[in-house]
Amino acid sequence: MKIVAVIPAFNEEKRIEAVVRGTQQFVDQVIVVDDGSTDGTALTVENVGAMVVQHGENCGAGAATMTGIEAARRSGAEVIVTLDADEQHDPHDIPALLQPIVEGRADIVFANRFGQRNRIPLIRRVFNAIGNFVTLIVTGKWVNDSQCGFKAFGPRAAKEVRIRMNGYEFCTELVRESVHHRWRSVEIPIKVVYSEYTLAKGQSFTTGVKTALKILLRSFLR
Amino acid sequence: MEFTPYQIIAPAISIFALSYAWSLVLRQKKTIWEGALWTFFWAAIALIALFPDVLDYLMFAMGFKNRENALLITFLGILSFIVFYLIVRVEELEHRQTKIVRSVALREAGLVRNGKKHEEVKNNGVSE
Repeated sequence: MKIVAVIPAFNEEKRIEAVVRGTQQFVDQVIVVDDGSTDGTALTVENVGAMVVQHGENCGAGAATMTGIEAARRSGAEVIVTLDADEQHDPHDIPALLQPIVEGRADIVFANRFGQRNRIPLIRRVFNAIGNFVTLIVTGKWVNDSQCGFKAFGPRAAKEVRIRMNGYEFCTELVRESVHHRWRSVEIPIKVVYSEYTLAKGQSFTTGVKTALKILLRSFLR
Repeated sequence: MEFTPYQIIAPAISIFALSYAWSLVLRQKKTIWEGALWTFFWAAIALIALFPDVLDYLMFAMGFKNRENALLITFLGILSFIVFYLIVRVEELEHRQTKIVRSVALREAGLVRNGKKHEEVKNNGVSE
């Protein structure tokens, strides 16, 4: 079973090397989607021996993830793992995420940052609770950490998944996909590392509101 | 009971929209949950058209008392529709741009397989 990791990245020159090296220990191939970075992200990735797919323009996390999934499929991936490029996710959690897929218990595995003791700022907890609630409204499915980018797709989900949303709202779309295709899902608690950098780079309140509105709008447009 | 043209047109549009929504559910393009959300929305439109008295509660809550306000609300509705239409168009353009960027990126990475281009494009939403 070929396992490919997809890492969407935007201006992550300083952090991407550690993320790629950490991830390479647990998967067969790493694909980094450089989403229109203006720094040396792509060059750094090439130097550590991972595949780079470069967007000419910054399209958003959802678009970059879908490009990575498409690249992984074309590279013969049967299982796909997605994780963030900002060192927020610990690659050592990848085996735990893959376990339900290897055992044939799940088609998609959602990581859960709130499933174990993590130091998560209150504002982040509030944003995530709102994200979970909006996701529940539009999909009818409750996921404890619907907005986390760390996920694993089993052979069926890897083949069927299709993300149409460009921005952060793709996380909600993936929950919707799991409902739509009736994938078996499992949630696995993970570690999460919040630094000043990840907090600054993450979603602001304005982005959160925009994301929620886009999700609601999309559910009507579809 | 006499019906105004609005009381005939609005429920007719609701029935059409609901039929379309549930046909998408049957074709597995929408989830049952989304079908239920649409049903709630369009049923409310039809209900308000057929039984405007239900708006008395809203009128009481928001303080609408005359026709001028009703006219204002109608124009707001039209403006909302225009904004909605523009958002749809912008979304379409954004998607086209993403498809182009993705297809170029995959091609440059050497991941477009000859002979399967068109089929993959159709199945995966990646256009060439």
